[in-house]
Formats: sequence, structure tokens, C-alpha cells
Amino acid sequence: MTTRVLVTGMGGELGTRVAQLIEARDWATEVVGVDFVPPRRRLRRALFRRIDPRDADRQAAFVEEYAPHVIAHFGVYEPASRMTPASARERTYCCTTATLSAAASTGALEYVVVRSGLEVYGPPTGRVSVPDEDAVPAPTTPYGRSLLAVEAAARGVALRCGIPVGALRYAPVVGSHVPSPLGRMLRLPVVPVSAISDPPFSLLHPDDAAHTMVAAIERRLDGACNVVGEGAATPWQAARLGGRVPLPVPPGLWGTVGRASEIAGAALAPHVVDLIRHGCTGDGTRARAELGLTRPTPTQDVLRELFDWADVVAIARAGEQAA
Amino acid sequence: MTADVLDADRIARPEPPLPALRRRLSGRYPVDPFGLDPQLADLCVPLFAAAVRVRVSGGEHVPPTGPAVIVSNRGFGVAEPAALGVAVQRASGRRLRVVGAPDLRFVGTATRRLGAISSSGPDVASALRAGHLVGIPLAPTWLRTGAGDAPLAVARALTLAPIVPAAVRAVGRFGSIIGSWGVTFGPMVTLPDPYDPSEPLAAARFTEAMRRAVGALLSAG
Repeated sequence: MTTRVLVTGMGGELGTRVAQLIEARDWATEVVGVDFVPPRRRLRRALFRRIDPRDADRQAAFVEEYAPHVIAHFGVYEPASRMTPASARERTYCCTTATLSAAASTGALEYVVVRSGLEVYGPPTGRVSVPDEDAVPAPTTPYGRSLLAVEAAARGVALRCGIPVGALRYAPVVGSHVPSPLGRMLRLPVVPVSAISDPPFSLLHPDDAAHTMVAAIERRLDGACNVVGEGAATPWQAARLGGRVPLPVPPGLWGTVGRASEIAGAALAPHVVDLIRHGCTGDGTRARAELGLTRPTPTQDVLRELFDWADVVAIARAGEQAA
Repeated sequence: MTADVLDADRIARPEPPLPALRRRLSGRYPVDPFGLDPQLADLCVPLFAAAVRVRVSGGEHVPPTGPAVIVSNRGFGVAEPAALGVAVQRASGRRLRVVGAPDLRFVGTATRRLGAISSSGPDVASALRAGHLVGIPLAPTWLRTGAGDAPLAVARALTLAPIVPAAVRAVGRFGSIIGSWGVTFGPMVTLPDPYDPSEPLAAARFTEAMRRAVGALLSAG
């Protein structure tokens, strides 16, 4: 029996890692990925098609021609990660609508799993600070709203095709090879933190994110599922774990700090400021029970790995080395 | 790599001041998703134990491991939850996650650091799924006249954990809240006939049974 798998957003760290894991599975007879940048690692049998998601017609034509059975949708772009917030929103929208509607029209589609995030819940209101999947999403940032729109589009496909659709609500994925505005900000020598609060946030290791995506495909996860690293950390604590200096920021000065941070090389997206000011955690029980994520990497170990990554240093030119 | 783990469920002996300070300055201390800081909470335990004198009876009813809910009466202020926390620690060595962290900037953060959680149903359910011992105070009776109504958060907990009633009484010389406290734990609350916990009527009957169990413990004392 043939199973054709399509990985959107294959050029990202997670997309590439998931493609590597899927191509090692016997059940995946064909693996194809699309993105506007090439994969980050060598892939043995997966094929890659370079398409900018904003070219929706081309993307839709390709998906219709390939007629995938399974879609792992990583075509969800985080603002200030590899592109501007406006560009991220546009690419996410185009990639999601073009891919899902084209795939639904082929009649071959059996399963879809989309990358989402805890940002869909919005900041803790004081009533719900560790939301489970039953909590009502109330995003307050453009990225959170974008993720919720992706989930809604996937649910539309589920209704139209009568197939199961999973949505993995990842905690912020941070790692040495993952482009992330949060990771970049935490690696600044001076880390902006809230002057009036120090809320907990959870992180997710890239390997855990990739393995749960594959598990979701294999087990045909239906509905939303939080995927969260064990434990939590606070912004002040994270800064100190990395040997950085925490800079307390009063509520009215986050705009100024955001601009300064951008000049320093770490653009601050609204969802990152939200995390620093209000925290971001979730109940990962369902992922443990249904996706086998029994021992997720602890949040503080994810941070340590981030800080263990060597700082950017100037490389001596060949002539200077010879001298 | 391993995290600097202090048990979020069991209270430990406070660390010596110098290593504790060193850990705090370097950020090497655990925090749980609800905001509990076990190192800080363990440092405060002796202070609470000295400030709130408690006599415990029925301590064998407190589950030594696993998720459970302890439902108790309360009056005005934080005296009863504090006394209950000390009593649970004395009976089982476990940390009580008291429901009702206020939604106020500094006070809320401070109480969460010490183990309180918000009074929302999802947070109570998440804490129980994580295996915590959750303390749910009934609605306050301002003059400490008995057991108040059960909050809605309890209904969500019915399917997740055993529920143990507890009565907290002032036993000081003048029944004053500054004096000693007597905490009595009762046997697990059940209904006489089989029930479906997801049924609203069964949940209402169960919460009423809980209120009566706490009331019975109060009047027996």
C-alpha cells in the first residue's frame, strides 16, 4: 500500500528533522517537501521542491499533482524568526490555504497534522495559567491568531473530507539550530525581563517536537494536543542560567526595548514580549498519554543547551591565519 | 544533562543558606508550570510551622502519594489554608497546592511561588493530572460558622482524584485565629450508589456530600 507524505515548511529545522524521521519509516513510500528555502540537512530519499508559499497557484498545482495521503504541515512561519512579521503572516496564510484546499480536492487525503503553539491560548488571565486542550483559545498576538487560523483551516479540511486532523500546540521550540526570536533574545548579553512580574514559561526541545509530529501521524492523533517540555523557568532565572544580566523593564517601555533589541540583533515579536511579561505554559498530559512523550526534555535543560551553544565570533581571514 | 530538581510534591529540608543563595544567583533552581518555587517554599516551611501551631487528627486519610483533593472549610483570610498546609505537611510530608491564588500582580506571584494555584477548573485539573495534592477551600463563611458551598472547580476534579474532607478549627484560648488550630481529616468522600461523574446532577450530589462531610467533621470536633 502506498503512502505519500507531504512535509510543508521542509526548509525549517523542524521540517527537515521530521522529513528525516519519516523517510526512515517503512510505511512512508514517498516523502516530498516544499518550502522557499532548501532543507537544512541531507535527506536520503525525500524529494524537495522549492516553492515560495506566496506563489499560491504554483503551490496548489504541485500539491494537486502529488496528491498526498498525509500532510505534516510545518508551513507556519514565526514572526521575527526568519522574516518580518508581515511576511511571516502572509506566507503562513498562503501556504496553509493553498496546500490544504488543493490536497482536499484530490480525494486522496487521509490525515493532516499541523504545527500550532501554546500562543493560541493567549496570556494567562489569572484564571487559567496552565491550559489544557479544553481551554478556550484567546490569542492576543498576531502569531497566536495566525496559529489559530491554521488550526481552523485544518478543521475545515477535516469536515470536508471526513478525516482526522491533529494540531500540535508546541511550547516555544528553542535550540541551538532553531531560528527563534526568543532564543536570540535570551542569548543577548543583557536580557530584558519584566520589572513587575517573573512568570513561568515552558520550552520544547526540537527533537521532542519532531518525534511527536511523527507519532501524531502514526497514531492518527485527532484534535488539539499540547506538547510541552517538563517543568518551567522564569525570565529572570533564564537570564541567570545563561550568565546574562537581567534588565528590568517597566510596562510602558517595551516598545523602546524592542527597538534596542532589534538593533542588537534580536528583533522582539509581540508573542515573545507576551511570554516574558505573562508567561506561557500548558498541560502536556495528552501528549504523554497519546503520543508517547513520557520523558520530555526539561525546560531548564533546553535552556542550558541553548546557552552551551558557542557565541558568534569573528573568523580570522585566510591571509591573517597564514601570517 | 539534568535539571536541578527539588521534589515539587514532597517538602524537603531547607538547604544551608550559602549553597541556597549560590543556586539562586546562578538560576539553578526548579520552577513548576504553576509558578511553584520548591526551594523558596521549603525555606518558608519552618516559618509557617512556627507561626501556625496545628494539632492534627485523622492524618492517615491523607494519601501518601498520587493526586488527591482535600476539601476544607475556611473563614476570612488565609489562616485556614495555611493551617491546612502545615497539617498536610505534618501528616504526609507532602506539599499542598492550595486553590485560590489571587489575580493580583505581586501577591498572586508570591502565593504561586509558595505553591498556590488559581481557582479555575482547568488549572485544578492540570494540577491533579500532574499528581499534586490539591487543597480546595469551600466558600468562606465569614464568621466561621461551618462549611460553605463547594466551588465549581471541584466538579471538574471529581473524575480525576479521590476527595478527602478536612475540618479546620481554631482551638486557641478564645477560639481566636491567632492561637492554635485543630485540623481533622476524614475518610474519602463517596456516594452510596453508583454514579456517572460527568453527569451534572451527580456532580451536584457529590459536592453536597463533600460539604456535609466537612460539616460533620466540624460539628464532631
